[in-house]
Amino acid sequence: MEQYLEYALYIASVLGALSLALMLPKEKRGLRFVGPLIGAASVGGLWLFLSSDSFWDGRGTGMASWTFLYYYIFSGIAVASAVRVITHTRPVYAALWFVMVVLASAGLFLILSAQFMAFAVVIIYGGAILVTYMFVIMLASQSDPSEQNNQAYERVAKEPVMASAAGFLLLAVLLSVSFDYDALEAARAPVDPASTDAALIESTLQDRPLKIETLYVTNEAGEPVPAESVAPPANLDPTRLANAERIGLDLFQSHPLGLELAGVILLVSLVGAVVIAKTKVPDEQHAVSG
Amino acid sequence: MPETVMDSLTLSHFLMTGAVLFCLGLIGFITRRNLIIMFLCTEMMFQGVAVSLVAFSRFHLNDTGQTFVIFVLTIAAAEAALALGLVVLLFRRKRTLDALVWSQLSG
Repeated sequence: MEQYLEYALYIASVLGALSLALMLPKEKRGLRFVGPLIGAASVGGLWLFLSSDSFWDGRGTGMASWTFLYYYIFSGIAVASAVRVITHTRPVYAALWFVMVVLASAGLFLILSAQFMAFAVVIIYGGAILVTYMFVIMLASQSDPSEQNNQAYERVAKEPVMASAAGFLLLAVLLSVSFDYDALEAARAPVDPASTDAALIESTLQDRPLKIETLYVTNEAGEPVPAESVAPPANLDPTRLANAERIGLDLFQSHPLGLELAGVILLVSLVGAVVIAKTKVPDEQHAVSG
Repeated sequence: MPETVMDSLTLSHFLMTGAVLFCLGLIGFITRRNLIIMFLCTEMMFQGVAVSLVAFSRFHLNDTGQTFVIFVLTIAAAEAALALGLVVLLFRRKRTLDALVWSQLSG
């Protein structure tokens, strides 16, 4: 079955490249409607092939049965919206389709039981970053009524065929690496009770006990006292922490330097954005048009 | 669907979605000529990487994957602020968002 899997991945990649090259904006729009059909057929065929039970049986993580359906729904929305982002000729609509990509990946994060990341991605990407993009798109778009709705540089993609070929070559390489059939075959043993999620979480977290005795906390009078003088709460069990609590524990316990560096990067980009925004530039409009 | 299909959601499925998002962002970055859409496509590549990282975190039961997504979000926010500032600067200089206007930079 291994070579069939490889062939399916390569055929889907070639068909995907073909459909995307047809869908990218260009002057002659004759065959653009064929692109979505080929793309949907290739993606759907690949997913039907992958979900046939000759592959991957006994390799699940004990997820509930509805997750499989929701995975396909959210992945389909994410991929289709991503295609629309790069094929839409109007920037505002491309940005709105990117919000759909973000929402669909938040759904994937929920399937992966990463609730905190799902909401963080929706708030930061869908909220903050996309609003900034919309602002800049509206600031920088010409509102000349005599012009057409969108400029020529929106309607004609550069090098659609070569870019699709290169991108889907990379995709084929990535897929053939990530679908390592031998490794999956070796891991297709029946599920061992000791390898279930709960047992693994327990063994993983026991290696990293809460270092609560190194912290300082405030007592009732508001004075800082060493935390070791305060009894830890009786219900502080690492195996029962929620998703956000475990991420916070991992972030502050294992990556304090990364946290500081992230703060430095944010500060530098803040200062840099102010400096860039205050730069005075000469207007070369007449030089370009003339 | 039969029982075996239901239970067979693997890491490879999520890696596939992440890889598709990454490659679509890459193709968009190459083909689009609008500077803002080009940077939007880099955000889409970040999104594909985030899906892969969270999937690794889930299937290896290690929270560091999700912690890295926080850092990815930080870098994406910093990049958006700087890149959009640069885009506005370039737009004020040439009154267009066409990336090919700046093709003289490639030498």
